[in-house]
Amino acid sequence: MATLEKIAHLAADCVFDSLGPKINVNLDKLFSLGEGTRHDVCASTYSPRDSPLPGICHAFTQDGRCVSLFKTLYTNHCSHQCNYCINATNCSRRVQTFSYTPDELARITLSLYRSNYIEGLFLSSGAGRDEELIMERMIETLERLRKQYNFPGYIHLKILPGSSQAHIQQAMELADRVSINLEASSAAHMNEICATKSYENDILQRQRYIRDLRTDDNLPAGQTTQLVVGAAGESDQEIFKRILYEYKDIGVKRAYYSAFSPQKGTAFESKKGQPLWREHRLYQMDWLYRVYHFPAGDIKMAFDEDGFLSDSDPKLAIARELLDSPVDPNVAPYRELIRVPGIGPRSAKRIAALRKTKKIRAKRELEALGVVIKRAAPFLKINGWRDTTLEMWSG
Amino acid sequence: MRVPDDYCRYLAMHEKSSDRLIGRAEGLKALDLELSADPEAVRLKKMVYAVMGEVHRLKAFIRLNPLGGRVLWGYMKPRHRIGEHISEHFARRNPGTIIVLGNGTESWTAFFWQGRILRDRGAGLNETLDRLRTALKISEKEKKADPEGIDIDDLDANGLDVDDVWQTYYDSQYCPERMNLQAFRQRMPSRDQQSAGLRLVQKKKEMTLADFADQGSGKTL
Repeated sequence: MATLEKIAHLAADCVFDSLGPKINVNLDKLFSLGEGTRHDVCASTYSPRDSPLPGICHAFTQDGRCVSLFKTLYTNHCSHQCNYCINATNCSRRVQTFSYTPDELARITLSLYRSNYIEGLFLSSGAGRDEELIMERMIETLERLRKQYNFPGYIHLKILPGSSQAHIQQAMELADRVSINLEASSAAHMNEICATKSYENDILQRQRYIRDLRTDDNLPAGQTTQLVVGAAGESDQEIFKRILYEYKDIGVKRAYYSAFSPQKGTAFESKKGQPLWREHRLYQMDWLYRVYHFPAGDIKMAFDEDGFLSDSDPKLAIARELLDSPVDPNVAPYRELIRVPGIGPRSAKRIAALRKTKKIRAKRELEALGVVIKRAAPFLKINGWRDTTLEMWSG
Repeated sequence: MRVPDDYCRYLAMHEKSSDRLIGRAEGLKALDLELSADPEAVRLKKMVYAVMGEVHRLKAFIRLNPLGGRVLWGYMKPRHRIGEHISEHFARRNPGTIIVLGNGTESWTAFFWQGRILRDRGAGLNETLDRLRTALKISEKEKKADPEGIDIDDLDANGLDVDDVWQTYYDSQYCPERMNLQAFRQRMPSRDQQSAGLRLVQKKKEMTLADFADQGSGKTL
């Protein structure tokens, strides 16, 4: 028997895939509920399960952001009054309201997954009339996927503000990751952007539930959070202070930042949108804390007197403050190497590995290790020779 | 990107790989390759990264189409010799489903079930799918497989193609205020999109004939 025929013979024994090649769904609903999540960040689909799930970006939109999950609302019906949101009750532009059923949503997810368009599901929702009811439906969707259809893909579930502890626990058994959006950096700022949510009770308390319910056997990819940047006039330093609390006390894996952009019909329609660079600089600051492990006190040097980051690399601003003398890659300790702009944790580790056997004598050698030499050179001393330029000290 | 310990496996898949090249590489550890500024080592490292990059992007960009309920097939014309590696990835992702990837001249079939992987390499994709269709009909008849199952020829059932569902969803995710074509092109290299028979365009339904003119072969076999 040829291998192809043998494969066909074996496949005829397998459980038949009951989902046909076609699916039924209202495309207007698909678009509207998809659109409701377009400001949420998809991020990595890596999940450290027993057999880890890889992070794969299946597509990018023309705004350069990754689409690796089927990111959707369960319903766009909402009873909250968030001043920036098109689904809020105080939004004058009435959009048609739609809802999925758990089975419909599970089948679309599975079809897209099998055809390799996505790595899994990112499920968020408006609160409907009753957030407990919507949470129940969302959990039912996850149950169908995992238990009825044996869905092995990635699931990220947004916990609705004010959800019960019992629902949160159920969600954590089924999802790889859950999150509650902070949206604002403090209770006072929350009051400015949403009159119907209690920052302490609806959000922070639910984050603490997730933290306390987490075990080695549930929620492999942990919890995350997201902020709307600039809607309430908060400074970057205020955001940083909140984020420190989130990383240290709540134990979030990552924080995401979404620059506020005014939407038609919302209470904040005429408010000025935030430049995208602000979001980018906050991510760089976050990276310095979370990946480079810079002390919080050092990162604060990147803020100006009003507590804002400028539109330049915060690592460069910190290096100008802290690197008094040029760094010799042959002797500098790791923590000093990663302070140099153009040297990241990986290239710093490579430098430390290489110099055990061989002295670094040329910039070319550093380039081969992944160092961005153009940015690093002004801060380095190689072979006793230094590449200082006046620009290094200019604004 | 990091050079993996078993990097010779990737080097062997490179379109310009040879036994001599592998022989030279075998004396070098992954870390040597990662740290060395020696031109030969840098060349080898670039070759490994080129293969790993294509593997990574094709795993992401290939789309699979159902043929009945037991087969998922997709178009693929890679630059490097990665057909077997990629089809095995999809077989492991979909246990019990036959995966066929290929193009007009060659195809790779893989099937993963109960911890075993079976592979077959054949001629053009159409020919392999025809053979498979016949073989499945015979096997299913012999075994009187699930009577509720979808007939392999029954592809005109009511409902939407998954690609229409995807296109609608994909369009819903675009934020015009964030338009960044440079990042889009960098992350979706057209060369790799072509290798996977894909061309991603936002608002496909609003495209003009001119937009389609340079679209190439797409998913035609």
